[in-house]
Amino acid sequence: MIYRASHITSYTYEDPVSTCHSEVRLLPRNCPHQQVQSCRIHIEPEPSVFSVRTDYFGNYVHHFAILEAHASLIVKATSLVEVTAPAIVEPALTPPWEDVRDHIRAYPDPHALEAFEFTCESQFITTAPEFGAYARQSFTPGRPLLEGAVELCSRIYREFTYVPSSTTIDTPVMEVFRTRRGVCQDFAHFMIAALRSLGLAARYVSGYLRSGANYTGAEASHAWLSLFLPPAGWVDLDPTNDVIPGEGHVTVAWGRDYGDVTPVKGVTLGGGEHEITVEVRVRPLLDTQPTAA
Amino acid sequence: MIAPSGLPRRHWRRLSTGLLRLGEEKLGRRWQQARQLIQSNGITYNVYGDPQGNERIWPLDPIPLVLSAEEWAGIEAAVAQRATLLNTMLADLYGAQTLLRDLRLPPDLIFQNPAFLRPCRGLILPQDVHLFYYAADIARSPDGRWWVIADRTQAPSGAGYALENRLVSAQTLPEAFHQSRVRQLTRYFEGYRESLMSLAPRNRDNPRIVLLTPGPYNETFFEHAYMAKQMGYTLVEGGDLTVRGDRVFLKTLGGLVPVDVILRRQDDNFCDPLELRGDSVLGVPGLVHVIRSGHVMVANSLGSGLLETSAHMAFLPGLCRQLLGEELKMPSVATWWCGQDAPRAYVRENMDRLVIKPAYPRFGVNPVFGAALSRKEREELLGQIEARPFQFVGQEQVPLSTAPVWTEQGFDPRFLVLRVFACWSKDGYSVMPGGLTRISTSADSLVVTMQRGGGSKDTWVLSDMDDSSGVAPQVRGPVDAVRTTELPSRVADNLFWLGRYVERVETQVRVARALVPALSGECDLGGAISVEAAVGVLAGFRYLPAEMTQARPAEQLRSLERALMTLLFDPHRAAGLIWTVNQVRRIAWQLKERLSTDSWRVLNQLDKEFQRSQPPPNVRLLAEIEMLDRSVMTLSAFAGLMMESMTRGPGWRFLDIGRRLERALQMVDLLKHGLVVTHGDLAEHLETLLRVADSSITYRSRYYTTMQADLVLDLLLVDESNPRSAGFQIATMGAHLSQLPKPDEPGTRQPLEARRILKASTAVRLARTDELARADSENVRHELDAFLQTLRTDLHEFSEALSSRYLSHAQLSRMF
Repeated sequence: MIYRASHITSYTYEDPVSTCHSEVRLLPRNCPHQQVQSCRIHIEPEPSVFSVRTDYFGNYVHHFAILEAHASLIVKATSLVEVTAPAIVEPALTPPWEDVRDHIRAYPDPHALEAFEFTCESQFITTAPEFGAYARQSFTPGRPLLEGAVELCSRIYREFTYVPSSTTIDTPVMEVFRTRRGVCQDFAHFMIAALRSLGLAARYVSGYLRSGANYTGAEASHAWLSLFLPPAGWVDLDPTNDVIPGEGHVTVAWGRDYGDVTPVKGVTLGGGEHEITVEVRVRPLLDTQPTAA
Repeated sequence: MIAPSGLPRRHWRRLSTGLLRLGEEKLGRRWQQARQLIQSNGITYNVYGDPQGNERIWPLDPIPLVLSAEEWAGIEAAVAQRATLLNTMLADLYGAQTLLRDLRLPPDLIFQNPAFLRPCRGLILPQDVHLFYYAADIARSPDGRWWVIADRTQAPSGAGYALENRLVSAQTLPEAFHQSRVRQLTRYFEGYRESLMSLAPRNRDNPRIVLLTPGPYNETFFEHAYMAKQMGYTLVEGGDLTVRGDRVFLKTLGGLVPVDVILRRQDDNFCDPLELRGDSVLGVPGLVHVIRSGHVMVANSLGSGLLETSAHMAFLPGLCRQLLGEELKMPSVATWWCGQDAPRAYVRENMDRLVIKPAYPRFGVNPVFGAALSRKEREELLGQIEARPFQFVGQEQVPLSTAPVWTEQGFDPRFLVLRVFACWSKDGYSVMPGGLTRISTSADSLVVTMQRGGGSKDTWVLSDMDDSSGVAPQVRGPVDAVRTTELPSRVADNLFWLGRYVERVETQVRVARALVPALSGECDLGGAISVEAAVGVLAGFRYLPAEMTQARPAEQLRSLERALMTLLFDPHRAAGLIWTVNQVRRIAWQLKERLSTDSWRVLNQLDKEFQRSQPPPNVRLLAEIEMLDRSVMTLSAFAGLMMESMTRGPGWRFLDIGRRLERALQMVDLLKHGLVVTHGDLAEHLETLLRVADSSITYRSRYYTTMQADLVLDLLLVDESNPRSAGFQIATMGAHLSQLPKPDEPGTRQPLEARRILKASTAVRLARTDELARADSENVRHELDAFLQTLRTDLHEFSEALSSRYLSHAQLSRMF
């Protein structure tokens, strides 16, 4: 499926901003089941510096600076992305989760070493015995890794309530666990925390959902997670929608947690308070003509 | 110090002979002088969490630590080797990470470490130098072996204190210093400066180097200012730098100037709020981008704090063999990192013999001595270790050897830790022949840290060759090479306010000195000044309630005395004298590297004169006149130093504009409160004004004894030859303004600040003092009131326009 994805972030400031330095992670990355055909980032006012690089985790980062006074900022990213559904992995055929944990711990190859980093705590994701205990209800001894993960994903989907605007970007995972509520970012953070508490490797994925497909979290940035499955694979899981992402999820970037993949961040001189609006549209290319519902 | 034979060890002999010859009494006296030197040079360090927020005087012991040439050779080689090893490790961990792939270091030791800065991986650094400078804390066990107890890889402090210790100790014990053939520190700092220049990405002949400090509240700000001054670097805070395009610039009065090298004393996490610590607005947004583009060298590299952990110590012997092909020359104190199973088990079993420390140093988390724990505390700690094993290490307690310190009771043995400094050079790391010796607080305490008390010593490394002269080291600092045009705007702002507050102190002292005689009713030759006029002035300045001007004479007298007491002695009176002196001190501290030692001494003197926490009991104000006279002298000394020792650059101009502006405003207020309304005897009012304005003698020599309001106005408001008049201040400010760097704005229209000063100056020059002096039947001068009001507004607008053009600082904020 080919999508046209557009992501518009607009800031309006209370006072004029004299300079702004910013970093955005808005260009989807290529991965085995995803090819980016074209991408364009448009910024208003026009920046005086604009460059692109890949970061520590291999995501595309655009860096820009605006050095003239401005009262608003618009960052608009549009891309054409082809997504194919990843090969289906039969959960019952995956290795016992303890073997996976020990494999990562021993890191016999670069893939496992890469995964090792995603077993560690990070700024927004701490581990805790409580999280481990919650996860162990699904990860019974000797259970195949993906069976446990799929069940954990479903439990979070059932037991946690999706409440828009109930949390902020730095709501601690422990609070999400206690209140059992949050948004997609909190669901992903918590499930990663639970998996890491068992010694498993999980990374945070930021991306988009196909618009109008009856998913929770569409029309905005979405987040889910990816679980390391040796020898070299990663399997995505979306606890907000209780699915293994397929054709309907567009991957933009991944990292240890939200902090590594913040779509738009910046530091301004001046500006005072600001307001943000975000608009995301992801439409199949063939679907751009109006069709009968 | 003492050999098994009972005699002093050989290399201590010259010193101990010298000390014996000196005798305790004389040593005590010398030491007293040395302490005064430390105090008047303002050598201090700050203590975090001190409710006073104050700096403390640097504690230095007069007896240096003496190291023989032979013993030093071993230390020198070991520290240079260790710096090389750690630099090689950093290059790998921020590059290919083969050490992790080849199982030489456990990956979580790196991945779990909050000091591992992922945005800094893959940065290309000049000569691959991550550690430009490095310090090792080493300690000696009683058998004479040295151990490394900590590595300082981030932004090690102490080299400046070591240099300052040397200057003091060489002056305290000059004979012993000369005879002992102590190695100089000078060459090390010269090499340091050359090496840093050679790492500049461009302008290697004359790169622009800045020293980045977190600011005056940092623990070792004294040292930042001191080193900047010694080495000729511009001292900057994050807000003084800005990124434009692919380069970083210093914001100066003359505009933006490019920076080639940043020597940082700010922790790396806080250097770039865009790419590094996300919750901080300190630092320079975009700095990592500039480093990535290769246009600035930052020393030490961002991310070098990674090896400040002690968790890697157990792996160093193997890494040294593998990376350098050598045996590690000096062992680390035995360390077990709990992130691995076997070491964790060892720590659990041997807790009583170990010190338990956080693996990744965190603010406010202190080492715990296992043996000192109760059963319950021990269980708690074990629980924490099980929950996050990678966050803990266990370390063996090294039995430390002692050195003698001088106390009130004579000599006393203390434990010591020596900080040794190394810096990169193209021929390998060079080690400073000396170091910062720190000593424990008491004979039975093993804790050695400046943060919690403790002291320091100079470190004498003896030479076995004759080439070391005993000349007290003085880094030949191109202090005057600090390009005067490159005045950071923040510094100009501080100078401006220093000028204002110093002048405010002077006004307050002069007001008090002029009014105190009113209490006695006695006066010297000139006319009398009345209680009523004094009350009028003080009420105008809001030191007395306005209704007091209408009160009965006896009550006025009492309230006058109370008001003067409050003005002079009450530390809680906002805008009282003590408050203002504190402001002077606060600002002067931020300008530490810009003020000469003499100016600093004068400010310390001023501080001493006023720092009384309580007014003396039963103080007689009249007796305080002498103190006030002394303060006027001190303030004049400061003004004189500023006039005579500062180059006539923009910095001096801003300082003087601050003074002139404050003096002009004070004069406007004085005339308003003292002359607009005059009840009672006019002559007494005029006399009071002249005295407060210190123009009594001038007036008398010019006009003899006739007291006329228009003549007084002429002298205090208009006369540009009277250095106390408002007209003089305005004319001087106008002259300064014309010499400041010009804003590049199109058009020929004068900038706002110039227009305001021109307006004020014209108004004063054209003022008809006879009309302004005319009072109505109620003794009110309406025209004067209106005139002063307009003048005041113009001066304020001048000040604001000047600030916003040259000095203003907007705040950084974050957006997501």
